Amino acid sequence: MSETITPDRKSILANIRIQRFTPGQHKSAFYDNFKVSVETGMTVLETLRLIKNTQDSSLTFRAFCRSKICGSCAVRVNGKPVLACSTQLMPILEDFKKESVTIQPLRNMPVLRDLVVDIDPVIEKLSKMHPYLMENRDRIPESLEQESLMSRQELSRFDYITDCILCGSCYSACSAASADPKYAGPLTLAKAYRFSADVRDDFKGERMQAAVDQGLWSCAQCRKCINVCPKDTRPAVSIQRMRKMSIDDGIHDTPGSRRAKAYTEDVAKYGQVNKPMLPVIVNGPKGWAAIEAADNYLRKHGIEPERQVCLLDGQNSAEQIYDKVKEIESKGENKI
Amino acid sequence: MMTYDILIVGSGGAGLYAALESRMEEELQVGVLTKVYPTRSHTGAAQGGVNAALANLDETDTWQDHWFDTVKGSDYLADQDAVEIMTREAPMVVREMEHWGCPFSRTDEGKIAQRPFGGASKPRACYSADKVGHVMLHTLYEQGIRHGVNFFNEWLALSLLHDGKRCQGVTALNIQTGRVHTIRAKAVILATGGHGRIYWTRTSNALGNTGDGTAMAYRAGLPIKDMEFIQFHPTGLRRTGILVSEGARGEGGYLLNGLGERFMSRYAPEKMELGPRDLVSRSCETEVREGRGGPDGEVFLDLTHLGADRIKERLPQIRELCIEFEGVDPINEPIPIKPTAHYSMGGIHTDLNGQTPIEGIYAAGEAGCVSVHGANRLGGNSLLDILVFGKRTGRHALEFARNNDLVPLGMDQEKADEAMIAAMMAGTSGDSVADIRRAMGELMAEKVGVYRNAKDLESAVDTLAELQERLGRVRVQDKNRAFNTELVSALEMKNMLDLAEVVTVGALARQESRGAHTREDHPERNDQAWLAHTLATRGGDGKPKLEFNPVTITQFEPQARTY
Repeated sequence: MSETITPDRKSILANIRIQRFTPGQHKSAFYDNFKVSVETGMTVLETLRLIKNTQDSSLTFRAFCRSKICGSCAVRVNGKPVLACSTQLMPILEDFKKESVTIQPLRNMPVLRDLVVDIDPVIEKLSKMHPYLMENRDRIPESLEQESLMSRQELSRFDYITDCILCGSCYSACSAASADPKYAGPLTLAKAYRFSADVRDDFKGERMQAAVDQGLWSCAQCRKCINVCPKDTRPAVSIQRMRKMSIDDGIHDTPGSRRAKAYTEDVAKYGQVNKPMLPVIVNGPKGWAAIEAADNYLRKHGIEPERQVCLLDGQNSAEQIYDKVKEIESKGENKI
Repeated sequence: MMTYDILIVGSGGAGLYAALESRMEEELQVGVLTKVYPTRSHTGAAQGGVNAALANLDETDTWQDHWFDTVKGSDYLADQDAVEIMTREAPMVVREMEHWGCPFSRTDEGKIAQRPFGGASKPRACYSADKVGHVMLHTLYEQGIRHGVNFFNEWLALSLLHDGKRCQGVTALNIQTGRVHTIRAKAVILATGGHGRIYWTRTSNALGNTGDGTAMAYRAGLPIKDMEFIQFHPTGLRRTGILVSEGARGEGGYLLNGLGERFMSRYAPEKMELGPRDLVSRSCETEVREGRGGPDGEVFLDLTHLGADRIKERLPQIRELCIEFEGVDPINEPIPIKPTAHYSMGGIHTDLNGQTPIEGIYAAGEAGCVSVHGANRLGGNSLLDILVFGKRTGRHALEFARNNDLVPLGMDQEKADEAMIAAMMAGTSGDSVADIRRAMGELMAEKVGVYRNAKDLESAVDTLAELQERLGRVRVQDKNRAFNTELVSALEMKNMLDLAEVVTVGALARQESRGAHTREDHPERNDQAWLAHTLATRGGDGKPKLEFNPVTITQFEPQARTY
């Protein structure tokens, strides 16, 4: 027996607070408030479009596919980078228990107007990363009569990164990018890893150098990029893997790779990091200056510096962990 | 003046493939102009597959099978020589994408994976999970960076320039600055995609699929072809028109009307929900027309009886999509859906090399019409179309640019476009682009949609003329030139209205039902009178003039299209 369908649809009168700024017209950014009747099912993008169509046609934002695949409409909602098109507004209003929401442009990129940021600097960084496959002729036939074969396992090393839509959310959230404007950013380094991990590629060396030059070791592994990525591409994981690849490839002469090597070797040897020696290992002999400064500081406060690493009990547990890691690694790098 | 050997307008699959093909062979200057950024083009939204008879899954598959399936799917309106080229070259272009790094899913042996698709007799849709268009688009963009293609990002092309015989270039608006420029080029390739947005909210298309290149060509006097054929997908989300893929029905989903009745029993008692797209779309529309729809003129796709476990296991992406875009969890309640305009079979009339009647002007992809899709496109053939004809067009344009010089070109059109924009931005008015756009979308969905008849179409022609008048009075309220998206919308609106008129006039003229074009007053296909392409050119009075060209039949005599 059929029953009439009556969908449960409600509506809340909400205050939408939006950051505005037009260079040349305004001295600095400011906020406009718009009253909007938000209905069940309305996305942030629909709300922005409703405001533009009915209240203020000069409100400026980007949008194209409306279906989470083009990456145009990334903005910050209550501080968090999201795609406006795939973010429902009603649950946010209900979660925050207030009838107001703040929408701002992404961070770490210059604002062109209102919610539109200039992504060209990021695209330029990406372009310098050799973000393309260079044919490995051992794997890719010259002739188009044949396919190149690739196993599912080989594909799984990088397939998760190909979901990236270059929306810039990770770049906005990146603490290293806000600290150093020259840093390449999560998406660009992840893209470099995507190609370097592809068995069909033959350009790893040059690309690795580009990644090192553009800050492969500057990432703080804060993992904010992982939290905000709308496509779950986990850039910080790719950066880690790219670092490991660089060390495996014998690039041992960068401060970051020296630090990483020292960390792993120390923990294997002592069960902990030999911190007092890190400045020398990372920066070479001039690291002694840092050690001396630390020594002087401690003495000034009446503490005698200790150079010895004290060994802890249970050292063989660390060894067991190392063995387990090696075992997992030998099985390949699947999506975790 | 900016000068290129080849200027490509549009940065989807067709435009980027054409750019690569024309860029790789020699030192010609190739520019790609796009109103977005290349990776944001609508090619990226294609989820399912790209057809090629690789025979990786079924070794009996041949390109000839693909050829026949496509011709039959087109309801015999496709040109068979064009379909032959497309299906024969399909394996090459798919392998070329693969060689460039496109991450296709893999079979056990490590070959490109293939899946079955509607209307295909063998499993030949090559896929990459549910993101094949996205990975193809990114692969082409990456190779474009490698090979030094120049990109004009966030530029909107305005007018196509020619001297009556030869291509001269285009005028275009730099969206970021608001300035109009003339760009000279020996060859221009229009690859601007479809015009599904003439149905405004009743479409699965991106906000910018406004038929810019097709409208530019039409205004420049070039013929546009088979515009009345628009494919509707039965299950678009109520609010946004975003597609809920056929997988939901394949998994056992029911279609219910507002009364909760499984209405497909009225229209396809055996196949029920799994009938062909056009039939299911018409059935949904009939339920609503006869007053059995939901509160917002929708019907429902119900998955609740499948249970939470099965939905989570088998349809996780569909569930996510419903929650994110419609705010509905299909575990708890039925998904509200409406048939949604999905693909434009028609477009700029070209030959097998993508060339239009004006030398040096080309079109490819959804903006063009060779024609390979005829009256109805098969799933997996749109991505194939953009690859094969993007490549062929690029190669032909390369030859043309190599052997020809630039044609003299003045600044008149740039001045005219600048004056048009200045006029649009001067003063205030009571009419807004948003209102006209909504009225157009509703009109097209109601009167030029899934069902059509002479009376509705005639009234639609009149209403569209009124909307044209209203658009002439619209003034852009945002007076700042930099990144003025209201201005961009007004310019796109002009393109959409011109094309909506051609679609409607073509639909009125074609007194038969074929493929996606359903006339209630002429329910049968009529090969005697209408096995012909509709060619529309803009007349002196600004109204479309129609001519009809024969269909090229080389191999398969038209038969009834039954599945």
